[in-house]
Amino acid sequence: MDILGYLRPDGQVGIRNHVAIIYSVHCSMFVAQKLRDLFPVGTQLFGVPGGCGLRQGPFNKITALGKHSSFAGALVVGLGCEGTDAYMVAEEIAKSGKPVEAIKINEEGGDLKTIEKGSRILVKLLQHASMAERVAMSPADLIVGQECGGSDATSGLASNPITGAAADLLIDAGGTYMHSETSELLGCADVLAARAVDEQAARDIREAIEAAERQSFESGRFSWGYGNILGGLTSIEEKSYGCLAKSGTKPLQGVLKTYGLPPRKGYWVQVGEPGSGTFHGDPEGINQFAACGAHLSYFTTGCGSTTGGLIPVIKVIANTRRMQLIEDNADLDATPVIRGEKTIQEMGEELYRLTLEVAAGKLTKSEIYQHFEA
Amino acid sequence: MRNKVILLHIKDDVATALTDLQASDKVTALLDDRAVDVVLAQDVAFGHKVALRDIAEGEEILKYGMPIGKALCAIHAGEWVHVHNCRSHRWGFHNDTYGLQA
Repeated sequence: MDILGYLRPDGQVGIRNHVAIIYSVHCSMFVAQKLRDLFPVGTQLFGVPGGCGLRQGPFNKITALGKHSSFAGALVVGLGCEGTDAYMVAEEIAKSGKPVEAIKINEEGGDLKTIEKGSRILVKLLQHASMAERVAMSPADLIVGQECGGSDATSGLASNPITGAAADLLIDAGGTYMHSETSELLGCADVLAARAVDEQAARDIREAIEAAERQSFESGRFSWGYGNILGGLTSIEEKSYGCLAKSGTKPLQGVLKTYGLPPRKGYWVQVGEPGSGTFHGDPEGINQFAACGAHLSYFTTGCGSTTGGLIPVIKVIANTRRMQLIEDNADLDATPVIRGEKTIQEMGEELYRLTLEVAAGKLTKSEIYQHFEA
Repeated sequence: MRNKVILLHIKDDVATALTDLQASDKVTALLDDRAVDVVLAQDVAFGHKVALRDIAEGEEILKYGMPIGKALCAIHAGEWVHVHNCRSHRWGFHNDTYGLQA
């Protein structure tokens, strides 16, 4: 499979080619949305949906997203009085060498003038994007995330293990893979620490999982309930292993605690920067992978979550009944494993092939529907 | 070939039902070059586990190649494995919370 990526000035290679429209505060979201609506083809919208104060977490996340390999350029729209200053955001993203411009509604003189000026900037940026240099990519260049949401019994038995099998193939080919959701790995600290490449990685994964355990107990939101037992799960460890199955079997390089590219290739666990979550839930998880450079993300779901994110999402469903209900949103039908007709390894190989196709340009359903939640 | 149970790791002591199974059903757990035949001692519902070998009291029970708990009593091949005969190492008390103490 020939993969032709988009070369960025900082040497990153993207599998998609968009222009980012970024609002630096909730107050500029309106204008940013209008600009996206004027130029829906080739743009993606995200930003800080919160208030005026400068919060390091969201600033770090949106600037890391702005530097993402999918973006050929970026337009930052600010109001003018917020802490997450639009010029500061633009300046940080511009360190990647890509064209970035910032406009402030207060300086331009209201919505209409900002939309007019922003439109002209977008025309320029979109034209620039269309001329991005194409270069050959190999699987070793790929960074893939893994999200699971709306989990059910088939997640732990089929879809998560399938993504784990695909992850092993990707890492064997030299690629990079990450998942998050440490709160669903209760009881897995020892097994993951045993896979760590060094002391630091072992310590970090223990701390991350222990923090998640403490939080679970203190908040009383323990991911274990009577329904799990009725469904056949005997212990929290068993449930967690069903989640951990998405990690594959390769050595753990470490825990990604900040945004930006992973320092090495291979398998990583990602935890968001504190306070950086602009939204919660699965799209937030997917976008945090993007903030760590992920080109695309797997998304295993049993109940049939339909959400996407800023990067292409490959939705994997193994629940036979749900698959029939929600086929329109699924990218990989993993039900043959639950029907006993295919092995996890066979389906993992299918998912890996699909991963390379998506990297080469095949659109996932989340992209076709523009499920660009952010 | 249609498998009625899934074996998730070559070392596992249990296989998981892919459909609702009945007592005296004969199933084969297959993975790579391992194949284990068992006859079910009880009904085992979808998502529930069946023992693939005789397990002694106190032994660790492996699924995904990792211990999900210890056997609370001797478990024979073909028997249903769940909270009545297997207890988590760390958070077994959560079973008590739900009135499921073995």
